[in-house]
Amino acid sequence: METKTGEPLIHLGVLEEALNLARANSLWPMTFGLACCAIEMMAAGAARFDLDRFGAGVFRPSPRQCDLMIVAGTISRKMGPAVVRLYEQMPAPKWVIAMGNCAISGGPFYYPDMYAIVPGADLLIPVDVYVPGCPPRPEGLIEGILLLEEKITGRGRLRKFRDVAQ
Amino acid sequence: MLLNDLTQALGRLNLAKVAPGEYHKSGCHLEVEAAPAQMPEVARVMLEQGCFLESLTAVDFPEHFTLVYHFNHFRELCRTVVHVRVPKEAAAPTISHIYPGANWYEREVYDLFGLTFAGHPDLRRILLPFEADFHPLRKKFAPSETPADA
Amino acid sequence: MLERGLEEKYYILNLGPQHPSTHGVLRVELQMEGEFIVKADPDIGYGHRGHEHMAENRTYLQFLPNLGRVDYLHALAYNQCYCMAVEKLLELKVPERAEFIRVITCELNRIASHLLWIGAYLLDLGAFTPFLYCFDDRENILDLLDRVTGSRLTYCYYRFGGVPRDVDDDFLAGCKAFARRLRSRYRDYENLVNKNVIFLERTKGIGIITPEQCVKYGLTGPMLRGSGIPYDIRKCEPYSVYPLFDFEIPVGSTGDVYDRYMVRYREMEQSLRIIEQAVDRIPAGPIMAEKVPKRIKPAPGEVYVAVEAARGEFGIYLVSQGETAPYRLKLRVPSFGNLSILPEIAVDTLVADLVAILGSIDVVVPEIDR
Repeated sequence: METKTGEPLIHLGVLEEALNLARANSLWPMTFGLACCAIEMMAAGAARFDLDRFGAGVFRPSPRQCDLMIVAGTISRKMGPAVVRLYEQMPAPKWVIAMGNCAISGGPFYYPDMYAIVPGADLLIPVDVYVPGCPPRPEGLIEGILLLEEKITGRGRLRKFRDVAQ
Repeated sequence: MLLNDLTQALGRLNLAKVAPGEYHKSGCHLEVEAAPAQMPEVARVMLEQGCFLESLTAVDFPEHFTLVYHFNHFRELCRTVVHVRVPKEAAAPTISHIYPGANWYEREVYDLFGLTFAGHPDLRRILLPFEADFHPLRKKFAPSETPADA
Repeated sequence: MLERGLEEKYYILNLGPQHPSTHGVLRVELQMEGEFIVKADPDIGYGHRGHEHMAENRTYLQFLPNLGRVDYLHALAYNQCYCMAVEKLLELKVPERAEFIRVITCELNRIASHLLWIGAYLLDLGAFTPFLYCFDDRENILDLLDRVTGSRLTYCYYRFGGVPRDVDDDFLAGCKAFARRLRSRYRDYENLVNKNVIFLERTKGIGIITPEQCVKYGLTGPMLRGSGIPYDIRKCEPYSVYPLFDFEIPVGSTGDVYDRYMVRYREMEQSLRIIEQAVDRIPAGPIMAEKVPKRIKPAPGEVYVAVEAARGEFGIYLVSQGETAPYRLKLRVPSFGNLSILPEIAVDTLVADLVAILGSIDVVVPEIDR
């Protein structure tokens, strides 16, 4: 198991694989919608594109109770320190999905004279999965979460023993 | 008729210009130009007539700022635009004691242009971070920090 | 900043910028005495993206996608206002079929916005079922609009002079089918929400706004109509083809949170009426004006155009000096004025009531911060 917070102190062998499986299938996201992508995140959690069937439907409002931060929306300069503080408040192991073009690279608000935004969440916090789109469809977010599950377990969705490039 | 009432009431204030506008071209029924010191009186007259403050903004020109106020009325459509020319480095009078809704609009103009309002109860930045040191909507503006800083 | 004196009675509580109610990143600094609020100071700017600065650095057509991101829940109305402003400066006449298409799609978007507001607001108050029902109804609208515009949320469908793609008969039949479906759901909403005792207790008599306050703060939209003033730009300053349709303006009486909720709830039915009339009467014809210039360079001048968005009056003040980019573009967003009344009506309320009041203002924070 590798998270961006570093190598674990103790390697538990086969138990780690079971733990990773449990963590991947029960991700608890944080309600961290900043702008338009937040609505698509809400739609992904609603009845049609149910996130709960992948185990990721329990949206917790407090960062101390969740392990997945979906940065959905543009990060303004004023909001930057708040994003870092929320990330630091999450307990390890934790993962970050950058949802939408604004969280990946500034999106439509990146232009030569810009002053107002941080062009990308990965300038502030380590990001595991990038979901492009403006806004990405809820199916795109679901694909991002499934990709994150593959990353956590290190195996494909069909549980075949194949290399998943890190 | 509201347009006539407004024209009469504003005509008593000795303003630079009070003229009907071309609605189908500019969207305004009445065009007014005032000096900065006359603006609180204009606002008082508009409030007495029951108009609400639709919008308050500024435009940056090489030698001066132009404050643009839009007023409208809920019962009878009559949009009034007031242009106020403020020299650079001068302060404009506030109208937030007459229209409390102008409080945030004036803070926004201060934040984006650096135009101060004399008499404003709480003139601080509203959109940019408090420690920002530039006013973005001034023309020929260069960002003071590189975008990659966090 | 609020004073942090040595008075030990008061307690400073920070609400936001990240909090469960899904309105965006708004921070309210509360000075409280026990559970009662003494002072509420909203702190905005956490969603500032620099739209107005971008407008001065972009051509008119390049700025068009930005409008969908200002208020993403009713993006088509914002598109329409900007297109109308530029068309006024260019003196372009939009053909009638395009106007009908604009009205139909805009009203569908308005219903989607109100449905989302109802779902999110009741989620704030603690009810989860209406959220699921509203989002399900909203998905039907998004399917319809997706067919014709290509996007689900941040639309960029109108162009200067008309619309780029025509609608087909399937879309028009789908609109009528949606109207039937939504009307069949009213009974559910009535029983679940409108007659719910807990909902009535939490919303009646809370957050009362008087008509005088509306004038002083420049409130527009359902905030204003909940207080009894029937000001709706579609009726008072008609634009596009709205004069051809027969619809009412729902108005409240006391100006409390419940009235604002009922105004939005009844507006959905009026939007359905507009859509049905438009679908019946849509004429054949071109969808784009003739002679739209390739390079948009309006003549020098200034223009103010306002439309009725789901949150209130959205206005654009555009100053052109004959260049390819605007000289100054001011977005007059409804939530900016609507939120500025919060410090006044939040005094002497409980925190739980503040959540109800804040939700009833229907803020979309990225539009306040632009």
